[in-house]
Amino acid sequence: MTVMEKLAFKEDMISPGISACIGCNVELTLRTVMKILGPNTVFAVPPGCMGGVGVVGWNKQSGAKPPVFFPLLDNTASMLAGIRLGYNAQGRTDINVVAFAGDGATVDAGFQALSGAAERGDRILYICYDNEGYMNTGYQRSSSTSKWAWTSTTPVNASGGGGKRQHKKDFPVIMAMHDIPYMATASPAYIPDLVAKVEKAMSVTEGLAYIHIYNPCLTGWGIPSDQSIEAARKAVQSRYFPLFESSRRKIRITRKVKEPIPVKAYIQASKKFRHLDDEQIQELQELTDERYRFLEAMEQVSQEG
Amino acid sequence: MEKSYKAPMGEGIYEVNTGDWRIQFPEMDKTRCTECGICLMYCPVNSVKAGYGEVLLKNGNTRQGLVYTIDLSYCKGCGVCAQECPQDAITMKRENKR
Amino acid sequence: MSTHQAAAKSRVDVMNGNMAAAWGARLSRPQVIAAYPITPQTPVVEYLTQFFADQELDCQMSEVDSEHTAMSMLTGASLTGVRCYTATSSQGLALMYEPYFRASTLRLPIVMNIVNREMISPQTVWGGPQDSLTLRDAGWLQIYVEDNQEILDTTIQAFKIAEHQDVLLPINVCYDGFYLSHMSERVEVPSQESVDAFLPSYHSDHILLDPDRPAAVDPLTSGYLLMEYRQKHMAAQQAALDVIAQVHDEFARLFGRDWGGLIETYRMEDARYALVTMGSVTGAVREVVDRKREAGVPIGLIKVRALRPFPLQQLRSAMSGLKGYGVIDRNVSFGWNTGILFQEVRSALCGLDEQIPCIPFISGLGGEDITLDLVGQAADAVVRNTAMVEQAQWLQVAHEGR
Ligand code: SF4
Ligand code: SF4
Ligand code: SF4
Repeated sequence: MTVMEKLAFKEDMISPGISACIGCNVELTLRTVMKILGPNTVFAVPPGCMGGVGVVGWNKQSGAKPPVFFPLLDNTASMLAGIRLGYNAQGRTDINVVAFAGDGATVDAGFQALSGAAERGDRILYICYDNEGYMNTGYQRSSSTSKWAWTSTTPVNASGGGGKRQHKKDFPVIMAMHDIPYMATASPAYIPDLVAKVEKAMSVTEGLAYIHIYNPCLTGWGIPSDQSIEAARKAVQSRYFPLFESSRRKIRITRKVKEPIPVKAYIQASKKFRHLDDEQIQELQELTDERYRFLEAMEQVSQEG
Repeated sequence: MEKSYKAPMGEGIYEVNTGDWRIQFPEMDKTRCTECGICLMYCPVNSVKAGYGEVLLKNGNTRQGLVYTIDLSYCKGCGVCAQECPQDAITMKRENKR
Repeated sequence: MSTHQAAAKSRVDVMNGNMAAAWGARLSRPQVIAAYPITPQTPVVEYLTQFFADQELDCQMSEVDSEHTAMSMLTGASLTGVRCYTATSSQGLALMYEPYFRASTLRLPIVMNIVNREMISPQTVWGGPQDSLTLRDAGWLQIYVEDNQEILDTTIQAFKIAEHQDVLLPINVCYDGFYLSHMSERVEVPSQESVDAFLPSYHSDHILLDPDRPAAVDPLTSGYLLMEYRQKHMAAQQAALDVIAQVHDEFARLFGRDWGGLIETYRMEDARYALVTMGSVTGAVREVVDRKREAGVPIGLIKVRALRPFPLQQLRSAMSGLKGYGVIDRNVSFGWNTGILFQEVRSALCGLDEQIPCIPFISGLGGEDITLDLVGQAADAVVRNTAMVEQAQWLQVAHEGR
């Protein structure tokens, strides 16, 4: 099956009508990932946008075709690890045990649970959709929010001062350094790449697989709905969010960005950066360059090793 | 009768009629479309459908392949398909239903 | 299997309370165990992981990163329909609170021993049931036991109670840290076959994550439906009163050991006064009751075993007609100036026609000894008292340098 045939003919596992914002690329990501995973899957959707828009369901109805549940905000990985053990105890090893969690539930509140599961080698597939904040409750900052970004808890004053005072946590690298068998970053703008990474993650039979997907949030960041994919694409084209993967610490950049567009071009896509001055933009450019250099260096070391 | 559970469970699909949200809708111009599938790939709602059929090639010949159409049932009218279509074959039109 | 046969197949050992709990768990064949060490529960985890390493325990074992993870993991595992076990104490239980409440409201019959320990601050590691009593309204069943044999027996019973179709609730078997957890006593360990005959394997279909029977677990739920689930949960707690008694009687018949069921009464037949207790202090109170009886004082003892569900009727019939009682609490209820058990007992007795004079005692916090002398003082006070005392009497041994 070609990627297009998979996307066209694999069954959509999610309710045809969920109340994600118009154009939301997380909805696209979820539908795509779940098509690839298929019905022999149990998936966790912790509190966050996708839980809020009805993917787990309402009252006595489900928002998805495979079994789905709400973990707590902070225990997604541990509940899934338990589910895996429960199936192991029954000799059912073929089921995909999957998280589809926002950055708040992953890089903040759920980090201990996830780090523990990664260290123990619990066999789960953990997908984080990083929309840089607690979007379902009105765009509060998380440790994954970019520096200087406006959020409802890092507001901007009349003279343009304010915004988040810290850099975005470099979470994919942190997960890669857990020595897990598979870690990848992905983007809704690069669907065939995303599909390939989900398939690789599904084939992991020992230990935890992690995919970090960068999802610019239309409503929270101030992006017009038709720019949903373009904003995500610019994050990759500017090297702000590089696409790479790692297996047991061996790092490979899966989409080399030879001639990056300026970070400024990416930043201009979102109103949440509207108040930034040139110096602040320059700071984000430098961080981007630094992180990309670090990544290339790690890739280099991986190849030598 | 509604099923009775001891603990919170949900069966059967819960759905929101998101087609109702639309203020604009996509219209596909098949004279420009090359059946590349980009619109299907990026539609967040899975509103673009595909089937096998005859694809008209630039040189006037045809080949068997995937042919794409838009099903407006749940389409939210986001405009992503129009924005992403490399052939400008999709235009967003105002919804007149209200 | 008859009592005779079961007894013949058991073996006698000397072990501490933690080992008794570990044996209770092992004999019950849990399919998933996830536990995190904390004083004074730590040896339970060590014993179980040793059984596992020695291949004497066939289960999925996870050495987790925290108690929060332990309970979260078991919540997940239980949703696949398998039997689950863990143990904790004090701060570990507090860290667990979030998934703890959820395990009960998802109706997951997880069994957890709580090795009771005080809550900090001040910094402490010693005994006292403040930890689990504070969580009495989190929807779990809670049984408090007095000695190591009772720990082992009740842990086995706990699985059968929790998994009963009329109950389907998680359960704690609570025992005092150090006094029981680290004290060795004679314990009879039943044979695996006799426990297998008593405890059938667990099957669940009331809540399940299974791709062959797809359903959502815990969708967003409106208030009216939440109220329906709460009512069912409360009804299951009430149903557990009968189930605890039934399972207990069945166990007593098979294994020849009777712990009293929901409450245990001691020399209450002709008693005019009573001391009400929970947990390991009961031994000292029993001794004091014997001594007072020798001196002609008509006093008895009531040990509350089941705190959740609360054995309202059993207490009423055991205590109706008394001239006075006292409750010895090894914990406090902030805002009431009494212990927690006192509040519970007095509420239960409100249903009687008569008002029985009573005294709330608080003693033995932070692992302090509740001496025979202190219990004797409590007994004397109860006999003298004619009032409904509402302020706790603190029973304490004078400490030097204070
Ligand atoms: S708030 Fe953002 S992430 Fe959430 S549904 Fe809306 S667009 Fe998607
Ligand atoms: S993206 Fe444009 S050209 Fe490609 S299939 Fe869709 S309408 Fe046709
Ligand atoms: S307008 Fe949006 S929802 Fe409708 S078909 Fe196009 S991409 Fe899909």
